[in-house]
Amino acid sequence: MRDDRPHPLTHVVLFAAAAVFAAPLVWMVLCSLKPAVELTENPHALVPSRWEWGNYAEAVTSMPFLRYLRNSLVYCLGSVACTVFSCSLAAYGFARLRWRGRNVLFAVLIATMLLPWHVTMIPRFLLLRELGLYNSLAALIVPTLLGDAFYIFLLRQFFLTIPEELSEAARIDGLGEWGIYRRIVLPLSVPALATVALFQFVHAWNDFSGPLLYLSDADKFPLAYGLEQFVSSYSDQTHLLLAASVLFALPIVVLFFFTQRTYLRGIATTGLKG
Amino acid sequence: MNRIDAIALWIVAALGAAVLLSGLWESPRESRRMRGERTEVVFWHFWGGEDRAVVRDVVDRFNASQDHYWVRDVAVPGNNLDVKIFLAVTGGDPPDLVNQDDPIVADWARRGALTPLDELASHEEIEELDDWLFPAARRLGQYDERYYALCNGLDVRALYYNETLLKQYGLAPPRTLDELDHIAQTTSLVDNRGNVERFGFLPDARRLLAWGAVFGGRFYDESTSRITADDPANVRALDWMTSYRDRYGADQVAGFSLGDQSLPGKTFPLLSGRYVVVMDGQWRVRDIAASQQRQRTAGEPVTEYGACPLPPPAGGQSEAGWINGNFFVVPRGAKNPEGAWAFMKFWSGFGGHETEAAQTCAAGGWIPVASAVVAEPEFQSYLDRQPLMRVFVDLAASPRQIPIPVIPGASYYDRQLRDAGQRAMYDAGAPPPRTLLEQVTERVQAHVDRTLESPDAR
Amino acid sequence: MSQHILRGRFRDAATPWLFVGPWLLGLVTLVAFPFAASLFLSFCRYDMLSAPQYVGLHNYQRLAQEIVAGEGFARALYNTAYYALLSVPLSIALGIALAVMLSWNVRGRSVYRTVFFLPSVVPIVAASVLWIWLLDPNDGLVNWVLSWFGLPPQLWLKGHEEVLWTGHFGSKDALVLMSLWGVGNFMIIYLAAIGDVPRQLYEAAELDGAGAVRRFRHVTLPMLTPVIFFNLVMGLIQSVQAFTQIYIVSEGTGQPAGSLLLLSLFVFLSAFADLDMGYASAVAWVLFLLLVVATAALFRWSRSWVHYQGMR
Repeated sequence: MRDDRPHPLTHVVLFAAAAVFAAPLVWMVLCSLKPAVELTENPHALVPSRWEWGNYAEAVTSMPFLRYLRNSLVYCLGSVACTVFSCSLAAYGFARLRWRGRNVLFAVLIATMLLPWHVTMIPRFLLLRELGLYNSLAALIVPTLLGDAFYIFLLRQFFLTIPEELSEAARIDGLGEWGIYRRIVLPLSVPALATVALFQFVHAWNDFSGPLLYLSDADKFPLAYGLEQFVSSYSDQTHLLLAASVLFALPIVVLFFFTQRTYLRGIATTGLKG
Repeated sequence: MNRIDAIALWIVAALGAAVLLSGLWESPRESRRMRGERTEVVFWHFWGGEDRAVVRDVVDRFNASQDHYWVRDVAVPGNNLDVKIFLAVTGGDPPDLVNQDDPIVADWARRGALTPLDELASHEEIEELDDWLFPAARRLGQYDERYYALCNGLDVRALYYNETLLKQYGLAPPRTLDELDHIAQTTSLVDNRGNVERFGFLPDARRLLAWGAVFGGRFYDESTSRITADDPANVRALDWMTSYRDRYGADQVAGFSLGDQSLPGKTFPLLSGRYVVVMDGQWRVRDIAASQQRQRTAGEPVTEYGACPLPPPAGGQSEAGWINGNFFVVPRGAKNPEGAWAFMKFWSGFGGHETEAAQTCAAGGWIPVASAVVAEPEFQSYLDRQPLMRVFVDLAASPRQIPIPVIPGASYYDRQLRDAGQRAMYDAGAPPPRTLLEQVTERVQAHVDRTLESPDAR
Repeated sequence: MSQHILRGRFRDAATPWLFVGPWLLGLVTLVAFPFAASLFLSFCRYDMLSAPQYVGLHNYQRLAQEIVAGEGFARALYNTAYYALLSVPLSIALGIALAVMLSWNVRGRSVYRTVFFLPSVVPIVAASVLWIWLLDPNDGLVNWVLSWFGLPPQLWLKGHEEVLWTGHFGSKDALVLMSLWGVGNFMIIYLAAIGDVPRQLYEAAELDGAGAVRRFRHVTLPMLTPVIFFNLVMGLIQSVQAFTQIYIVSEGTGQPAGSLLLLSLFVFLSAFADLDMGYASAVAWVLFLLLVVATAALFRWSRSWVHYQGMR
């Protein structure tokens, strides 16, 4: 329940704040459609003198956009599949089974969430190098087969809410744990799994430091890294940079609009239970 | 979850299956493709714009000229190159060949990131290379008396002058520093508010290296391994550069120089009439030719331009200056160093490829690294077509053209010299040149000492 | 029959380990081992091209020297602290303010919510490119808006100053501004937490004659303290780990004049530009220890102001 009656000034403040928050995005789209000359001569013009849709075409052809997009999708979908699989497995182990050492290891899991990534960055790089995975998308995807503390935690919390009676009944029917996991828990957890899938997809789509560290062949760059390379090569062509950025952000924004409820609920859950 | 969420995720899943399948078809290690019988040579370079087409052409010619190797040129965008290369080297999958023009040879060699050339070529070949190269090219490629880089093009700076304008004032191209100062004073234009509209000549604050060499100074003493930025000749050079600040005012000098950089498309300021005499590199010859062509087609009177070596003061060095270049390096761990070496020779002209190299240099407007290439008929006819280039090519052979010392921390040294020059010329309250250069010497020496004291100095 | 039971028991005992197996493998190989390895490397000189060389406390001595001289590591630490100490409290304040206003019954609430949340959905790479343009000292929107209020143009990402000391907005202040734009993430969490506050508490406060602000201070805020604390810790960790936007806006160099060399970029460059893995590992470890101490201190401090109430 909430405290319903607003303070009188609320509308004004909210509107002003919303304008401030929205302005950069609106500006990004507007400037991406301006002709290049206008950006240098009349950068503060509100409306483009000419709607230069060609900027988008030029941005896409100036870099191997489709290749980058394909790499991004491979990375995103591959890592989503691996993540959902490995994290649901581990979460099941933590939530639905009793075993010695479970609570200790769960505390360890929580602790790893607080570990800054630079502490392990160099040895991880060396390890993946020794495995021969350097300069391949596998270097980015394979580690997700080994789970992620955050998602395991999220799924474990959810799995805990599934009534134990269901598992009991299944066990009596002769189903093993794997069967229970597959046939009972997973189907009941689709919302939580969807949340994990969604978050991991977005994370992989946005991932920059991964490709920076592990990829050196331009053929393999995902969009996030390819965009940054594009920015360095065309640093004085703002209109193209903005167009490319809009193209890069658009799928995620659209995805967000389609999955708003799942997305927002996922974020809220992490905060509240944390 | 609601229906829309579900549909969205199903669409994504379907797309994903298709993409994943296509993605899994290609194995991760496809970068070492064989093309028929050939092995691939991965070549990273940082050229952009029109130069990229020239590079592609050289690569195509090399690929057509033999059937052992296939060079794949990759244009890598400009920033943090050392990080990208080190990541690739330490990751175990570096390119076979890299083109660079920053003074990093000493640093990278010291770190063991480069394959020395004597591992790619026989002892006799290296000796031959030593004889074959211009003195400056030789210096640029060596660290600790070993070749770690092969120069493939030299960058030389000289004075460009607007001959038409000079004739109007009845002046001749400058042969001494005094004549240059005289031109500067006579042909500068100041409007009635005291703002400078045109500088007859203004020294480039970033290029103390060039003028120090002209005054006879050295920036590094190899025999003692000490930094000598505060060599008296260098101080005199900076004094002379600072005299322009005193004459016109620091604000004028600073504002005008920064204005050069905001010209659209990096136009050569000489062409837009901002200067009568300007120091710049051989790549401007192309810009001048293009500008004159435009004037011709527009039916306007064509402006005449000329070029001459940096004029020395009394007691200074003639045909001196700062020289730089593009050079090839082979990262350690390269999979195909033999292919890299073959391509390096083809491009630079060493090992019997002088004719091809002449073609390359003529196409790109680059200065060859050996007199043998300069002598080639193809390059000579290019020089006939572009007489201004001759000035630069002749300078390339001069032993008084000095590169940034090839020592660890060379980039740091370069930055310090630029900063000192800019402070001296743009800041009316800056310490005197001698103090500035003494500070540079101290700082750089400390930096170099720190890097050299590390246990793994090679 | 007994064999069947025995096998069943063994399977039962092994099963949990099969489920957490992948994660456990990851824990050992990608967390524990690298953790220990980087500690080992911090006592070595290592450039990844030849074998590590043991050098004892050399790297840590260098850290100590740099702290004394106020450069290198000390500078990176200062940069990170400046950024964290500005952006985390400001984000919390802004996030709560927005969430509280959204929790009230205002018209168009869900539109507002989307507007505030959307920027945090925009990928960081794209947002960084956008902000480079917005904060351009000559052509950017921000300076133009500032000029409406008579304020002089600021250097933002091109300036190395800090507004707290010189009154000029520089690169780190720009980073703080960018992080505030992404506050939507935190706002959602506060919004959800506010939703959990029992209505009776508000009703009781109203009966006592409390206005909106006092209701907030005495009912909402105390209820929010667990979430605030959570975001404090997460915010601290996130700002210390911030990398992508810093790399992009400083072109991977920490420019201008090293003002954007925050710890994560500093570790990265020490490792891969200077090829000094030992030193980089030492920095990472010191950073980790500082974080542990800071987190522990925060936990201790939280006891005095965080009100849990059977939620956990």
